[in-house]
Amino acid sequence: MLEGRAAARVERGARASDPDRAAPAVTGNTGGYNNVYIDRGKIVAIVDGQPRSSLLTTPPDGRIPAMSPMGEKRMEEYRAFRAQFGRYDNPETRPLGERCMMSFGSSAGPPMIPNNFYNNNYTIVQTADYVMIQTEMVHDTRIIRLGEPGRLPEHMRPWMGDSWGHWEGDVLVVETTNINPMQTFSRFPPSKDRKVTERFSRVDEETILYEFTIEDPAYSELWGGQIPFKAFDDLLYEYSCHEGNYALDNILRGARYQERQGNQPEQR
Amino acid sequence: MRSRSVLCTAAVGALALVMYAVPAVAHHAFGAEFDADAPIQLTGEIVKLEWVNPHSWIHIEITNDDGSKEVWMVEGGTPNVLVRRGLRRECLPIGTTLVVDGFQTKDLTLKRANGRDVTFPDGRKFFLGSSGTGAPDDGAEQRGRGTEGRC
Repeated sequence: MLEGRAAARVERGARASDPDRAAPAVTGNTGGYNNVYIDRGKIVAIVDGQPRSSLLTTPPDGRIPAMSPMGEKRMEEYRAFRAQFGRYDNPETRPLGERCMMSFGSSAGPPMIPNNFYNNNYTIVQTADYVMIQTEMVHDTRIIRLGEPGRLPEHMRPWMGDSWGHWEGDVLVVETTNINPMQTFSRFPPSKDRKVTERFSRVDEETILYEFTIEDPAYSELWGGQIPFKAFDDLLYEYSCHEGNYALDNILRGARYQERQGNQPEQR
Repeated sequence: MRSRSVLCTAAVGALALVMYAVPAVAHHAFGAEFDADAPIQLTGEIVKLEWVNPHSWIHIEITNDDGSKEVWMVEGGTPNVLVRRGLRRECLPIGTTLVVDGFQTKDLTLKRANGRDVTFPDGRKFFLGSSGTGAPDDGAEQRGRGTEGRC
């Protein structure tokens, strides 16, 4: 069903246009992302020859588990905190991607989850002491130290957390703590005790199997998944985020303008 | 020190759509950048393509009714979306005639537009979606690390 819908979308997007068509009509809308901008493909990911209907494999139903009572309480507190501010009151309430601080969604992670738009591309550089993972969107670079972890103090919360790796045979295992609370996931900040464990296995010349597990007392159980990373013979392009720089400024300025006109900007 | 680097791409497929409602890519406010009251249709030859994130710019030269020529910039997908479609930099079809439907930027002095529909003159799409997950060589129909295509 998933592939059927995806294939239908690719087919619709590929359908020829009328060569005698006119310019677009004035409808008050410029349109957004369409087939010109986004290329999602038409099949699901395959792991061990098995087509997957979810990238999540833990729990086995492929769904993010329910919050724990502690998680529910934190979520309520977070919502109440956010409710004090208007959606466009200040830069801090805008998403990190919009502020050009971090990737949209959780592209850089951890866990490294593909967004559903584009640029789910990584360069991985490996030395004896470090592994560096650069994420194309939005120019995030995670440096993983190899060896016995010397963890940062609890109050230090860098972007993408504090990652330490070690080799189990040919498998790189990375454990990350101290994740920055502003790196929300599904619009919800990680709890301070979140630990993400990742495993990078080279399964063949073309493929790294990426596996992740999230331990977070905000959830009722562990959860995680598997994503195949495929070799790609091209470059990562710089993501300068110019549009974001301008957009953030203009978004806030537009909200102030609306306020001066006596109109309240839309609130979350 | 010896170092190795690997470039790879995460398979997305249709799955991520189901799993996450990823926040809209709000940095790109089409409505803020382009004028909904200024639809245009342009026909011209590709003279240049800028490979920049998060969106490529296709430069096409058009001929006005009075015979004068202008180069317009048309916004399209990211460079690596083009690569996934087999449109690699080294095989960019300079000189190809395109018909572009879109909306001009709000600053009408700029010869720029977003691409809503980009076709050859006979109506065939310039941007065809990928097979497979869109990731190169995903073990499905697509082979050759994304090099297959129109190049």
